Parts: sequence; C-alpha cells; structure tokens
Amino acid sequence: MGDLGGFPAGAAGIGTGGVMDRRSFLRVAAAGGAVVLSGAAGAGWASASAAPRTRVYVLVVDGCRPDEITPLLTPRLAALRSGGLHFPRGRALPVTETIPNHVMMMTGVRPDRSGVPANSVYDPAEQVVRDLDRPTDLGFPTVLERLHARGLRTGTVLSKEYLYGIFGTRATYRWEPSPIVPVSGHAPDVFTMEAALAMLRTADPDLMFVNLGDCDRVGHVDLTGTTLALARRTALVSADLQVGRFVDELTTSGRWDSAVVMVLADHSMDWSLPHRVVSLTPVLDADPTLAGRFVAAQNGGADLLYWTGPTVGRTAAVARMRALAAATPGVLSVHAPADLRLGSRAGDLVAYCAAGWRFSEPAVVSNPIPGNHGHPATRPIPFFISGGSPRVPPAATSSRLAQTVDVAPTVGAVLGLPAPSGGYDGASLL
Amino acid sequence: MTLDRRQFLASAGAGVGALAFGLDPAAAASSQFRHGVASGDPRPSDVLLWTRVTPTAASTPGSGVGPTVSVSWQVARDWRFTQVVSSGVAQTGPSRDHTVKVVAGGLAPATSYYYRFVLDGVRSPTGRTRTAPAPTATPSRLRFGVVSCSNYQAGFFASYRHLAARRDLDAVLHLGDYLYEYGPGEYGYGNANTDVRPHQPAHEITTLRDYRQRHAQYKTDPDLQALHVAAPWIVTWDDHESANDAYDGGAENHTPGAEGTWPARRAAAYRAYDEWMPVRLGETAALDDGTQIYRRLRFGRLAELSMLDLRTYRSQQVGTDLAAVDDPARTIAGDPQLRWLKESLASDAAQWKLVGNPVMIAPLVFPPLPADLTRSLTDVTGLLPPEGVPYNVDQWDGYTADRREILRHLADQGITDSVFITGDIHSAWANDLPLDAGTYPLSRSVGTEFVCTSVTSNNLDDIVGVPPRTSSLAVEAAITATNRHVRYVDFDSHGYSVLDVTPARVQMDYYVIGDRASAGAGSHWSTSWATSAGSQRVRPVSAPVA
Repeated sequence: MGDLGGFPAGAAGIGTGGVMDRRSFLRVAAAGGAVVLSGAAGAGWASASAAPRTRVYVLVVDGCRPDEITPLLTPRLAALRSGGLHFPRGRALPVTETIPNHVMMMTGVRPDRSGVPANSVYDPAEQVVRDLDRPTDLGFPTVLERLHARGLRTGTVLSKEYLYGIFGTRATYRWEPSPIVPVSGHAPDVFTMEAALAMLRTADPDLMFVNLGDCDRVGHVDLTGTTLALARRTALVSADLQVGRFVDELTTSGRWDSAVVMVLADHSMDWSLPHRVVSLTPVLDADPTLAGRFVAAQNGGADLLYWTGPTVGRTAAVARMRALAAATPGVLSVHAPADLRLGSRAGDLVAYCAAGWRFSEPAVVSNPIPGNHGHPATRPIPFFISGGSPRVPPAATSSRLAQTVDVAPTVGAVLGLPAPSGGYDGASLL
Repeated sequence: MTLDRRQFLASAGAGVGALAFGLDPAAAASSQFRHGVASGDPRPSDVLLWTRVTPTAASTPGSGVGPTVSVSWQVARDWRFTQVVSSGVAQTGPSRDHTVKVVAGGLAPATSYYYRFVLDGVRSPTGRTRTAPAPTATPSRLRFGVVSCSNYQAGFFASYRHLAARRDLDAVLHLGDYLYEYGPGEYGYGNANTDVRPHQPAHEITTLRDYRQRHAQYKTDPDLQALHVAAPWIVTWDDHESANDAYDGGAENHTPGAEGTWPARRAAAYRAYDEWMPVRLGETAALDDGTQIYRRLRFGRLAELSMLDLRTYRSQQVGTDLAAVDDPARTIAGDPQLRWLKESLASDAAQWKLVGNPVMIAPLVFPPLPADLTRSLTDVTGLLPPEGVPYNVDQWDGYTADRREILRHLADQGITDSVFITGDIHSAWANDLPLDAGTYPLSRSVGTEFVCTSVTSNNLDDIVGVPPRTSSLAVEAAITATNRHVRYVDFDSHGYSVLDVTPARVQMDYYVIGDRASAGAGSHWSTSWATSAGSQRVRPVSAPVA
C-alpha cells in the first residue's frame, strides 16, 4: 500500500457543494485512486495541525467477535487491547445489528429514544420493509453534530452505504464510501482506511468515527460458507493491518500521545447451517386469523413482527403471533419491544433465534447468508480503549459492563461535552 | 489482610504452622470450645459465625444432654479486639447440639475482621474472616482456597493446614464430601482401605445422633480447625454428607428399612449439617427454616458465585439402561434450581460467573484401556457398570438433558466467562466446555471448568496400588486424546487448589501433598491453568500466583 504523503501535498483540489447544504469537497490523492471528503459549510481544510489536544477516535471493526482478536492473527488490535483499558464484558445492545448499535454509540441513548431499533423495519407510511438508512430516521442528536455546534470538528468514515445514509451530514467532515462492493454495499477496508488517513491529515477532527466493514461482510457475501473460515481470517488480518496503519499515522504525526482510541464492534457474529433457518411468515400465514395481516422484518438473528390488521384485533393477534413464534423450532424467545427498549418502530413483537440459527423472511430461501447477528448470542463484542492520553489507564482490565451506548458519554466526558437533554442511557467508561 | 503474623502468634501463645491464626488446640480441647470456630457465606455487610460449646462434661455431641446457655460473640477490626464493631449474645442448648450460628452485621465491605465467642468468661479461639466487596465495587482480585473430598479415615488433612498457612484468601470453597458416612474398615486409605484414623461413631452414620457425632469428630481435627479459623468458608454438599450416590429418593449406600427411610435419614443428615456448618441453609443462619443450600454470593462486579445442590433434587442414577442418560424427564438439578442457575449465568451483575459445582460437568468418554485399569478407573470416577461404559452416570454425564440446557443457554444468550469450580472426582482437571464435544476443538467452547482433587479420598494410583505418576500417566494421556476439551488431568495426587480471580483471567493453581497418611505431609505446587476473560478456553500457566 502506498503512502498518502503529507497534507496539503496530497490534496488535488477543493470544491464547493450545491446550494442545498453548502458543502465543500476535498479531493485527496491516495493509493488506488482519489479520496473525496466533504465538509460542512465553513469547515476548513488546510488549517489542520497536530497541536496537542485530546482527540477521540472510535474505530468499529464491524461484526468482530471478541475471541477473534489474538496476538497471532490480529497483532495490532491485540496490542491495543493489552496496552490500554480492556473491557472483557463488551456488549452490543438489542437489536444487535449494525445501524442501531452505531446510532447508540453516537447518541448515547437506547432505540426507544433515538427511533432506530434495528437495521430493517416495517415502515407503515410506505407500507414496505426498509433499512433505516435516512438521516430523518435518526431522531436524537449525536455527539457528531453536538460537538460541531460547540466549535469542535468531527468526522465520519463509514464503510457501509446505509451508515453513511443515516449519519448523513451530521459530522463536520465525512466520506461517502467508495468504491462499493456489489451485494455487500460496503467499501473495502483498504479504501476506508485511505479515507480515514486522508481525513486525519486534512481535517484533523477532534472526534473521528470509523467503521471497517470487511469482517462483517465476509459472512454476508459468501453464500456457500465453504470459504468462510479462510475469508474471515483474511478479513481479520486486513482489518488489523488497517487499524495498524491508523495507529502508525497517529504516532508519526504526534497525535498518539494525546489520543483516546476506542476500538469495538457493533455486534458479534454467529454462523448457521443451511437447515437451521426459521421463517415465521409461512407459520403465521397458516393461521387464518393472521394471514395477510402481518409483516415480518427480518434482521438476521431477530425478526420484528408487525400486526397490520385492524386495531381492534391487535391484542388477540399479537398474542397469537407470540404463541406461534415461540413454538417454532429455532426460536429462542419472543419479547415485547418495550422490554428491550426498542420503541414503537420495532413493531409488536421481537423474536430471537437460538445460537446457530437464522431468520429468513418472507421465505426460507430469502436469507441464504450463513453469518448472522441480531440475536443474544451476538451480544459479546471486543471493546477496549487505548491511546497515549493520560486519561487512558495503561494495560488495565475492567470488570464493568461496557456497552455500545457508553461510547457517546465517554466521548462527551473526554471532550467536555455536556449530556444531551434527558441525559444519556449509557455512562462514561473513563 | 492486615494481621501481623508474629504479633498474632505471640498473642495467641502458639508457635507452629497449624496455629497460624491463633488457635491453640491444646487449650481449646480442654475448653468449652473444643470444636473450634468458623465463619462462612460472607456478604458485603455481614458474615455468618459458628461455634459449638461444651458447657458440661456430659454435653457431648449428639448426647442431647446439657443446659441451655448464653454465648456472647464479638467482631473487631483488630485481633486485640480494641475496635469491636459488632457483638451479641446467642442462646444454645441440646436441641441444637449446643451449636451456635449468628449473623454478624454492620460490617464494612471487603474488610478483614476478627471474631470470638465467650462462654462463662472463657474465650474461644479467635477467628479471622472477611466480608465480600460491595455490589458495585470493582475489586482487582479475589482469591479462594478450593477443596473437596476430605475423608477422615483416609488420611490427615494436610491440605487444610497448608491453605491455612496462606494469608491471602478471601474465602475457602468446599465443594462437597466434607465428611464421609462410612464406618471403620469402609473406604479408608489405599486399595486395602486402611483406616489411618477410624471414624467415630464406629459404624456407618444413619441417625441424627450419628451425624452430629461425625461432624464433631471432623471438627476436632486441628488442620480443619486451623483453616476454619483462617478464612470464611463457602460450602455445598455432595453425597457423602448424607450417603454415597444420593439422589432424591435414596442413595446407593442406603438400605431402606434397616437404615430407616431415606427421607428421615436425609433429614437427619441435613439437620446436623445445618447445625454444624458455617452455611446459611435457606439463606439464613436459623435452623428449621428450610434446607435449600443452592445460593448466590456476589463479589462486587468482579464475580458472582452460584453454589449448586446436585443431590437433593436429582433423579436416580441410571443402571444398565444407558439410553436413559439422555431422558429429558430426568434431572440432576431439578427444574427450579436449573432455572435459577440460568438466571445466575445470564445476569449482567458481575463479570465472572463462578459455579460451585459438586460433580464434573465436562462430558467424558472413556477410551479402551486394560481391564485392570478400567476397573480402578471405575472405582475412582464412579463409572458404571464396572466393565466400563462411556459414561460416569453420577456426574452431569448421567443427566445430559440438564447439561445440554445449561450449555445451550450459555451459547444462546451470548454468556461469557462462566467457570465451573468442581470437586467430587478425586482428581484434578482443567476443561473447556464444548457445545459439541464431538466436533471439538473445531467447534466452540462456551465455558471452562477447573476440578480440584481430593484432600484425602482415594484416587487412581491408590486403588491400583501403584506409585503415583506411573500407570495413571497412560490413562491420562488416553483420556486427553479421546476428549479434546480435557486439557489437563492428574488422577493420582491429593491436595488443594487456589483460585485467583482478576478482571483479566481466572487462574487455578494446583497443589499436591505428600503421603496423606502422614500428619506432617508437605505440599508443593504442581501446575496452573487459567482462562482469559472472553476466551471460554483454558490455557496452561507457568507459575502460581503466590
């Protein structure tokens, strides 16, 4: 991999966006092509400096399991973990999918306050199951725009299209993922890291939020599972390499000594065999009182069930759906969304599958992906805080619970940002 | 702990290792406190204290004779008792065999204390105890002594003495078979069943009087007394506290009719246990309020310990119908306890989910071995029938539905850092807990298990009648080769373990003693195994913690 070179030498040009958002664009030469970053109106590009001040970097290794970080396979990640503050009880929160957990990281609140309970929900207005990938889907302020409003610079480098979609222009600086791998809808880690390094050098944000999607997408792309283990290891090695490049840049640029580097995953990963599939749609459709009057929004290891029939029959119908779902082989448990703090957008019921199973809606063949998450088996995540900042205890391990919702409060505590209206649902880990 | 050892020894007038914490058996034996003192079940603000008094010469254990007396007690921050923080008076008498159990409250979390009892102006030996950390505390370390299977007839309790000499234990876990029910000539030392020290009463115990007298005999052992003095104990029972291979409706070593009914015998055993052990049956210090021994103890956010009862509610062990081991209608824990354990494991209250587990949970398949070895292995492990079959039906192997439910639960709920601390099998093990042993290690592990060996009870070399570390080596190699999740096994040694818990890992140090027939047997470190946080696997460690 070639080196970007120092800014501004690598900058190929600065442009201005349309009237709509008055964005500015920066095109930066990078290995394998150019990186295009956008900035909020008035955000500067060339004034970045590595002057000592505390900066926070949140690096998400999407879908990484805690036991996959080892000195042999992922030496850079393992070194960050052993050198910083490790939380063995790192946990994703329901629904353990990418979008809600990234939203929890940046808002510090649970889905019943943010409006983002899952990747995929049923939208009653549009009468369609869709991803929560629109800026308007997120109904709670994130630390990205709250820090920006206080004059600090924030940046997002998110490898997945739907993450770029929901976080939109909240950060001071952002990168639109490119090139996108067909089917997976994400940019490979090598390109994501090029963008992250470019942003580091050109914008030097106080908070950077980076998502590396390769590890997760391996499970989603390989529909046969035959090359899964090898591909997964390759993705882990690659992610480790990219994280290492980021740390090296922090070190050589002098930022490391004042940096707080949070590394975590948004969810874990569970593998299912082809016959371990739960499809509730045909089960519920077989019941004459439910047929045609419900929708199942599949989220890998979780199904969100919506009653779409008349309101007067909702209570009985939901009870019937619960009973049928709970009795279906492979279903672990069925919950009211309120019990999981998911809010009304999650529908009437949330069904979890057992470890080693997956949901597939509306038909058994609809979800051929062996690697899934969303169910409780995928709660454990790697979670550690490293960096040279004196705020980070070196080589320590904590027995406290560390959840994705704790990221924003930690960022806020480090950067002096007050809690949002109504307070956080998480707590600072530092 | 803060005790200055030299000061304390000087004060107590004692000068040998067994007296490290001030107990003077010679004095105690002639006093009202000849059965020592003990503490147990530490909580953040209270701990249970125990003693037994002998107010008159006739008030011998099990006699039912003697006056009702008042026994006062004190708890202090210092061994000189200049800072008494809790005190009280308890009544005892023949109805409870002159045992005393009180809960000393008003204590500070994660703090060492000293306690004593006073009867008629005579002070008991001084005990040292320690409270648990506060529920929200994040302790950097916990350290437990771990023991099981202490058969008085089979030898001396050197393991207790060596553990008592340590000064770094938060508590001692006894995982069952604290005493044995047999009479002299039954189940002694080695393959000749020699009685190193014959049991009293001199017959198999079956009545309340018998059980009381047997408890009393064990409580006169100086090494046992020393370890009770040194630290609070957290105990559960296995089968021998009542009778061998006990289950809900009987026991292998119980003859209905000749030995009364099983409910009556078990009630007697449990009553004596409640009287004589520093344990909160039914979550209280009171007697006559239930015999539930399974319970949770919290140690801040670092660990929660769930102590199991795998005897009271279990179905009878299978006989020759081995297919029955998979029968979901059979249970080792009983449905309420199984639900309770699943709640314990799923709780986010603490990082390490420690389980005090009386019998081994790791699945075990026995490889083909020479017949003589198989017969001996059968004896030590409880394998049935004697010809050798792939199951030890007295362990979780005999109740696979319950085990599957627990291991599936760990996988389904994404539970990490569950560690089973186990006794019973008279041998030392370190195991991963595979979800599917047949495909392990290619498939995943969902927890770990450390098994301590026996304090004195016979194991493989004893039964075969060969020197330690000879023929057993082949058996151990065959077992680890056949069972890939079994990472370590020692079928020969007797001893004790030290369990060290930090946020980063749980480590079990295995110590072995010399000849258990020798009261002065030495001890040395054998090996250490650990599980790193989040790994669900055990790994060897090069040195003990201390």
